[in-house]
Amino acid sequence: MAFVGRLRRAGLAAGVTETGDLVHALEVSPPVSVEALYWTARVALVRRQADLEAFDRVFRAVFDEAPPLPLTRGAVPPSKRDDAHLAVPHGVDETTAGGGLPWATLPPAVAAAEPTDSPLQTPERRPSALAALAELPFEELDPLSLAALGDALRASLTDWPTRRTRRHAVDAAGRRIALRPTIARARRTAWEPVTVVRQRPVRRPRRAVLICDVSESMRAQAAAYLHMMRAFTLVADAEVFAFATTLTRLTPALRRTSADEAMAHATDAVGDRFGGTRIATNLTALLDSHHGNTLRGALVIVASDGWDSDPPARMTAAMARLRRRAHQIVWLNPRAGAPGFAPKVAGMAAALPFCDHLLPAATFADLAAAVRVLTR
Amino acid sequence: MNSPDDVRQQLDAVDYLVDDGLAMAVFLALRLGKPLLLEGEPGVGKTAAAKALAAALNTDFIRLQCYEGLTAGEALYEWNYQRQLLAIRLAEARQEKIGDADLFTAEFLQERPILRAVRYEGRTPPVLLIDEIDRADDEFEALLFEFLGEAAITVPELGTFTAVRPPIVVLTSNRSRELHDALRRRCLYHWIEFPPPSFAAEIVRRTVPGAAAPLIRSATEFIGRARRLELDKAPGLAETIDWVSALTALGVTDLVAADVVSTIGTIAKTPDDRLAVARLATEEPS
Repeated sequence: MAFVGRLRRAGLAAGVTETGDLVHALEVSPPVSVEALYWTARVALVRRQADLEAFDRVFRAVFDEAPPLPLTRGAVPPSKRDDAHLAVPHGVDETTAGGGLPWATLPPAVAAAEPTDSPLQTPERRPSALAALAELPFEELDPLSLAALGDALRASLTDWPTRRTRRHAVDAAGRRIALRPTIARARRTAWEPVTVVRQRPVRRPRRAVLICDVSESMRAQAAAYLHMMRAFTLVADAEVFAFATTLTRLTPALRRTSADEAMAHATDAVGDRFGGTRIATNLTALLDSHHGNTLRGALVIVASDGWDSDPPARMTAAMARLRRRAHQIVWLNPRAGAPGFAPKVAGMAAALPFCDHLLPAATFADLAAAVRVLTR
Repeated sequence: MNSPDDVRQQLDAVDYLVDDGLAMAVFLALRLGKPLLLEGEPGVGKTAAAKALAAALNTDFIRLQCYEGLTAGEALYEWNYQRQLLAIRLAEARQEKIGDADLFTAEFLQERPILRAVRYEGRTPPVLLIDEIDRADDEFEALLFEFLGEAAITVPELGTFTAVRPPIVVLTSNRSRELHDALRRRCLYHWIEFPPPSFAAEIVRRTVPGAAAPLIRSATEFIGRARRLELDKAPGLAETIDWVSALTALGVTDLVAADVVSTIGTIAKTPDDRLAVARLATEEPS
């Protein structure tokens, strides 16, 4: 039990079932060596590949004679691990600190309208105020209005493009006859199938994969894109990746219900923010990873300015592979809205022939327009 | 099988080699009566593990290949509607009355793989392989919970079938989709690593009996080097076995660059990979 407790503190989801399994396993296979004990415990307790590393670390710390290693993940302070899910104090801190930010973003007129005295009250805004904010470039927005616009964007994502699945559901307008309900219905008419029940294919939201650049050249847009990624994750069940020099998967972090918590976790997760950019390398890494299969038939959205330190030939190769897997590729470029913009950056020029759309993405109004293009 | 070593020996007898981890996983799955979830990169021998287990236990092997839209009708059971309709017509002709109970009985039930495994009447329970579970959708995973947890299937019209001897269940996944935690909780888990070259060579030697020893050694070494390249699809163990079989069929006993190029289709599966592997073969003669 103490060992499982330690594993849980190290972030492994080992519950009562797993502990029971371990006890049974030790009954049927008494550990004759540390090696055997390792495999018994690993098979009984670990349920996913991502947890293997943490398990190995804890196991070594407990059963080797070495001094115990720090058992927590880097991002979470050791003593606070169990409190990580409590959103309330976290949220309150955030909101009360909103007035006295240590840096000099003077909250303009819009932020003054915020009811900062009570953090629990939902701020009421007129649509027009949000519409005006949406026209501002990302760098001129403060975190609160960013969050509000993020929510507005999420609310506007109502009819996401769908795809036909191989699953069928009963529908009067369907063409296929659903045998089981038809026979069940025939019971009422002395087993004469008078009413024929029909079925049609179920439609699902098309899977979306969002790949966002968070390098130095995209610093102004990074926070806004995080909100966009969260909106897509929640509405369209999208897979979300951020990259600068290496690729980070943000889907689990952004799927949290609380916006503040999701943002904090996502920010912690990305280790290489505001570094250089290697778009082609990261696209190839995504294609090669086991997440590469989620790209099949998906709506792929790349958000980047196209400044790439990899050679354009690599970009062409990566985009060609992506093109063969994806249903549609949309490139969001924050510079594309500027007057006189031409995709002359080498990386962007190399990627352009493989994109279905190149859309500007410098303001929330742009993002909303991009969503309209996608759902058209 | 009463110890991990015993598992290893019995699987060894049917030419499937396992390392300590897989031996322990199989042993515990058998002893605890829990399903075993195997993950690992494609071509590392997940499906073969289930087949070998069935062969070693000398029992039936039942396979369910998953795909999107898989329903109870294809995986668990289906009513035989044609026979039901015929029974209705027959009853009409004889001017008999039929009730619900007459139409939904075991004789009109068609078994699909999972129900077949539950109702299996043999001395040793069968091995049921649920292959590539990640290809099915969430709804199908939910359908499996009762079976994986209790080895039982409920047919609403008829009642619950519970297995007398719970089948040995092996699930495999290629991680193209995250499986639900509820599914993982019900299974034991093992991640199959790609074996080190010496172990891979031993596996190839057992699977391709006619191959020459130097050929196997140099081929597994070459595959080890090729896996370090940036390939679209890194060659797995299945490709290695295919390749050595191809080379053996051509009568090759020692690997040279020309042979690699002529049989490249067995290990490189995209145009880009062909180029990369051919370059590796020509620049480093093995």
